[in-house]
Amino acid sequence: MITPQDINARQKPATAATGSGTKAILATRQLTKNFGGLTAVDDVDFEVNEGEIRCLIGPNGAGKSTLLNLITGRLSPSEGDIYFDGTDLTGLEPHDRIDTGLSVKFQSPHVFENLSVKRNLQVPLQRTDRDAERVMAETLEQISLVEQADTPAGDLSHGQQQRLEIGMAITLDPTLMLLDEPVAGMSVDETADVADLINSLHDDGMAFLVVEHDMEFVREISEKVTVLNQGAVFRQGTIEEIEADEAVRRIYLGEDT
Amino acid sequence: MSETAPTEGIATRVRRALEGPNTLGNSTPFWVGFVAAVVALAAYPQVTDPYTALQTSRYFALAFLAISLSFIWGYSGVLSFGQVVFFGVSAYTFGIIGINFASTAGATAALFGAVAVGTVAAALLGYFMFYGGVRDVYVTILTLVVALVLNTFMGQTAGSEWAIGTARLGGFNGMTNIPKLTLGVGDASIVFQTVGFYYAALVALVGTYLGLRVLLNSSFGMTMVAVREDEERTAMFGYNVPFIKLVVFTIGGGLAALGGVFYATWGNYVDPSVFSIGFAALPVVWVSIGGRESLLGAIGATLLIERMRTGLSSGIGPIGSEWALVIVGGLLLGVILFMPAGIAPTLNDLKDELLERRSSRSPASSPTEDSVK
Amino acid sequence: MIDPTVTPVQTSVYSLGALFFQFLNSFGFIVLATVGLAIIFGMMGVINLAHGEFILIGVYGTALPYHAGVPLPLAMVIGVLVTTVFGVIIERTVVRHFYDRLLDSMVATWGLSLVVAQLLLIIFGSSLDSISTPLGNVRYGPFSSSVYRSILLPMIAILVLVGLYVLFTRTEFGIKARATIKDPETARAMGIDTDRMYVVTFAIGSALAGLTGALSAPSLGSITPNRGGTFLVEAFVAVVVGGPSVIVGTLSASGILSIFNATGSFFVDTFFGQMLMLLVAIVALRVLPNGITGYVDSWRQRRRAEQ
Repeated sequence: MITPQDINARQKPATAATGSGTKAILATRQLTKNFGGLTAVDDVDFEVNEGEIRCLIGPNGAGKSTLLNLITGRLSPSEGDIYFDGTDLTGLEPHDRIDTGLSVKFQSPHVFENLSVKRNLQVPLQRTDRDAERVMAETLEQISLVEQADTPAGDLSHGQQQRLEIGMAITLDPTLMLLDEPVAGMSVDETADVADLINSLHDDGMAFLVVEHDMEFVREISEKVTVLNQGAVFRQGTIEEIEADEAVRRIYLGEDT
Repeated sequence: MSETAPTEGIATRVRRALEGPNTLGNSTPFWVGFVAAVVALAAYPQVTDPYTALQTSRYFALAFLAISLSFIWGYSGVLSFGQVVFFGVSAYTFGIIGINFASTAGATAALFGAVAVGTVAAALLGYFMFYGGVRDVYVTILTLVVALVLNTFMGQTAGSEWAIGTARLGGFNGMTNIPKLTLGVGDASIVFQTVGFYYAALVALVGTYLGLRVLLNSSFGMTMVAVREDEERTAMFGYNVPFIKLVVFTIGGGLAALGGVFYATWGNYVDPSVFSIGFAALPVVWVSIGGRESLLGAIGATLLIERMRTGLSSGIGPIGSEWALVIVGGLLLGVILFMPAGIAPTLNDLKDELLERRSSRSPASSPTEDSVK
Repeated sequence: MIDPTVTPVQTSVYSLGALFFQFLNSFGFIVLATVGLAIIFGMMGVINLAHGEFILIGVYGTALPYHAGVPLPLAMVIGVLVTTVFGVIIERTVVRHFYDRLLDSMVATWGLSLVVAQLLLIIFGSSLDSISTPLGNVRYGPFSSSVYRSILLPMIAILVLVGLYVLFTRTEFGIKARATIKDPETARAMGIDTDRMYVVTFAIGSALAGLTGALSAPSLGSITPNRGGTFLVEAFVAVVVGGPSVIVGTLSASGILSIFNATGSFFVDTFFGQMLMLLVAIVALRVLPNGITGYVDSWRQRRRAEQ
């Protein structure tokens, strides 16, 4: 029988085997963000391990985007710390955080609309030491935009723009990729393609922190899932554990699962 | 695209550095036309009188102002009404140093000093703005206000107490007796006047243009364009956007400062009208008409518009200069309404479309850059 | 000018008085010049760099009838009407293409300003005869101030602001206008003819520019077409420093800029006053990146969130 106490209880972060390395690449300690009287992120202790795919789910307003913004540095925490690969990110500007091995893809596509697909990829790519021609060709393949290499990004469909932006983010060869609703607005086929892409990159060692609502997609890619509710960590576990959890279903109050 | 065998390596390498998607004109016909134009400009003083050549060299000085704005606005999205600040500061500085150290060495030092001061001024203002989070239209108005502050300040420096060393600032009447453009010391020096001045300005302009082409087609140029297109996204790839804007703005200031030196040495004179709103808006006019993302368009528009203005005012008297501005205003309105990117980029796009149709490729969405190897 | 019958205290009071009247003089003019530009900027995201020339048309539209024998008040009405009609024509032909294209609107209207200023110069010559300032002066101690410039104009400026406040908050038009400013898409979905809103608003902004010109005409001395630039700068700076809110922004920015302008002019000279005002604007733009009311808005939002 689920009691109100269960629903409000906070879980300690899971320490079970994660399937990839157990070294934490991203860790938040007592991370809190207040906006005036509203607590958007509430004392969050949370870790993503090296090479792991972690999904972050929760009802609207749970604080998922705020948490991402705290990690990238667009927002400063009211309390708490964020560590990435051993580095304390406190006080670092967003662009310096990216240099530590992070990469971000926003919710809505933010591609360079007037530039061609190729030039879009060039922008992040030229920051790295990687072999430009090889990586460019590889990435175009991975995101299935080989034909559209010279097309202005603004002429692409929504789904294509999302894929392009994911492509741009991965050219940085990050240790951890932050994805905010990467398959929003995509068709079933496109969603499956992105899931394949993420899984293959994961096989090569890339870690992911993905905010998503599409549970089918989450099932395809996740190892571990963290559920946020009202700014706090509500549950953590494998996708099967989470989906079987009555309390989790309740907090969604009838939203799509 | 190979040149004759012995020079193949060098020529193609040079072209690769000079060409890219950020500049219009990446084809052999373009370069042929370009060389022809430069040769024509070089021959011009030989076929006309020294006075006309001198008039034209003034336009070269102003062209530096235009490319400085095209560089920062067309390529990096920073609309500044303040390029004239660095132009004017450089001109005045040249006068101050040159008048106080009245020798060939002094004038040479003035040249470097003026460009340095103008560039540093740009760095300071850029730091103040971009590291202070000033953006978009606020940058535009802030730069305009800085120009106007200088306009007001310099306008009231008429008294003899307003002098730096032996150089009197001169208030509204301006600073006179500015030395000629000089390079070198003592006997090993060249003084550039009349036709010599024309060639100095032309060489500097062409050299600067080519140098900027290389810069714009490098990865820094790509960065500039990315910042213009979407600052936040660019920052989230690890780029330090305020720093990039600072560098861009400083380079722009340096270009304007170089123009300021030529301007001061052209008439041996400078006055506070270079800081007035009318003059501050002129680079915006030239670049808007000629082409924001086109250095040649900016230069071409400057030369043609200023030539037209001089022609009309000397042709039919003061009412000529008034009609000239009416034409300029009308041109500006027309271009912004019908060819917002400017004349050069629009013509270039038209040319691309025509070429595409002629070679009857499938009408896919037109590419945004010239085909490059 | 030292009157031995006047005590030092009296002189300081008179000086304060003179300073205060100088402030009112500057304030009145800046408010009037700014509010027309602010309405257009706030409503349509357009900066009309020809605003100075609109004001000039108000001046010429008043001065020409006056010099042809029309009594001053009627001449002023004509000035306002002419400017309004001109504004509507310009809106329909030029400005409507630039909604939310801020930088392009600036360039286009600058082109327009060149055309208008030069045409005025060509047609009417380099200056018109001045109109004598009505209502005389008020004397206090060693100072005197123009009743028209330092008392009437600021009063009219305040009345205009009050009138606009009433218009935007209490009339149906005002409510529709504010809805259009906030979210044109939704406004259209609610049945508001946003196109008509824009024309009417631009007409109001033009009328206000015309009013500024008409009212300023008798205080300018000789009337020259190059004045457009000066009108523009003060208005433009005040709009941007003021921030997104039309009335409060105009009021606060004009107030602050006028204080420094008047103080500088009074204690040193007009050059210094002008420079001080511009320097204050630079500081304001740097410290308050969204203008005064932008800062107030975010402060208010934070307060609200805390409650």
